[in-house]
Amino acid sequence: MKESFNVKNLKNRIDRIEDILASVAAGDMEARIGSDIEDDFSGIEAAIDLLINDLTDELRERAKVQKELESRLSKIQEQQKTILQQQEDLLELSSPVSKVWDNILILPVIGTLDSQRTQVMMENLLQKIVDTGCTISILDITGVPTVDTQVANHLLKTVTAARLLGAECIISGISPAIAQTIVHLGIDLSAIRTKATLQDAMIYSMKQNKRSEEVKALANISFPNENEG
Amino acid sequence: MLDITCDFKSELLGKFAIETEYDIVTVRQTIRQFAKDAGMGIVDQTRITTAVSELFRNMYNYAGGGKVFIESGDVEGHHALIVTCIDHGPGIENLDLAMSDGYTSGMGMGYGLPGAKRLVDRFEIQSKLNEGTTVRIMKWK
Repeated sequence: MKESFNVKNLKNRIDRIEDILASVAAGDMEARIGSDIEDDFSGIEAAIDLLINDLTDELRERAKVQKELESRLSKIQEQQKTILQQQEDLLELSSPVSKVWDNILILPVIGTLDSQRTQVMMENLLQKIVDTGCTISILDITGVPTVDTQVANHLLKTVTAARLLGAECIISGISPAIAQTIVHLGIDLSAIRTKATLQDAMIYSMKQNKRSEEVKALANISFPNENEG
Repeated sequence: MLDITCDFKSELLGKFAIETEYDIVTVRQTIRQFAKDAGMGIVDQTRITTAVSELFRNMYNYAGGGKVFIESGDVEGHHALIVTCIDHGPGIENLDLAMSDGYTSGMGMGYGLPGAKRLVDRFEIQSKLNEGTTVRIMKWK
């Protein structure tokens, strides 16, 4: 028995398939063969159309997912921006230096001290010392939960810098747990004047104030013409 | 990969990456919470938190970051909180020197590693040049 193909117009139809595939490849996802001839070859045409349909669906789905991912990414990026902004704001907010009494500045430190924050803190304190001419500043670290060697180092540097400007720096608010930890770490803070509580530091500072006033008064008696020359 | 001998049974409580200075703070807080949950007093909480803070800073400053595993386990009859820090940094050339007080290869005070050792109950360190450093500390509960 001889097999025979019942195909009409084969050359034109193959050309059409080629055209359609080319346009799909070029990105035209609407192109279909859509032949209305029914014979042995129409199965292949229909199958190609089906494949193009599937491909179109896939691509659509992918584009949707990609869009979703992109929108999520931009959301995350925005959130990150906000976080960075807030961190910066927090830096500014979290290092207030205030003059609480004649000649006395207080810098309450709350939270964690990273290198960036201590830098801002030190700058604020030193500037305030220069601006106000105060000679005593109290660094209260009651609100600092962890003092490791880096934090201790920063504190030492801040105190040294303040001293260079002629101001005495007192650290208050070291908790018993932190005191023990500092000792075990082996850090020597004996170069810094420390007080257990802010109150102690205040009392000490006021005594210092009084003393320096007395010294001033004494100096005025001994050298009455000091300001004239 | 460096390996510290594992002669105890443990349960993993958490696994974290240290990549930024902010990670140091958050993981440190997590460990403080674990210590609190384990029933440690405020002094012990502060000690282990400070010790891990030193190790994290070393990883961040010298190795550009690393990984942290937190476990609870039974070691030598003690219930222990175990923290293992692994980095793939430059390694430590002279461990004895690095473990001695006052020596620093960078900008620190030189009390980080020896200080951390004094703050915990068990301290193990291994380091290979150009491969990395692994430190494991334990604090009895």
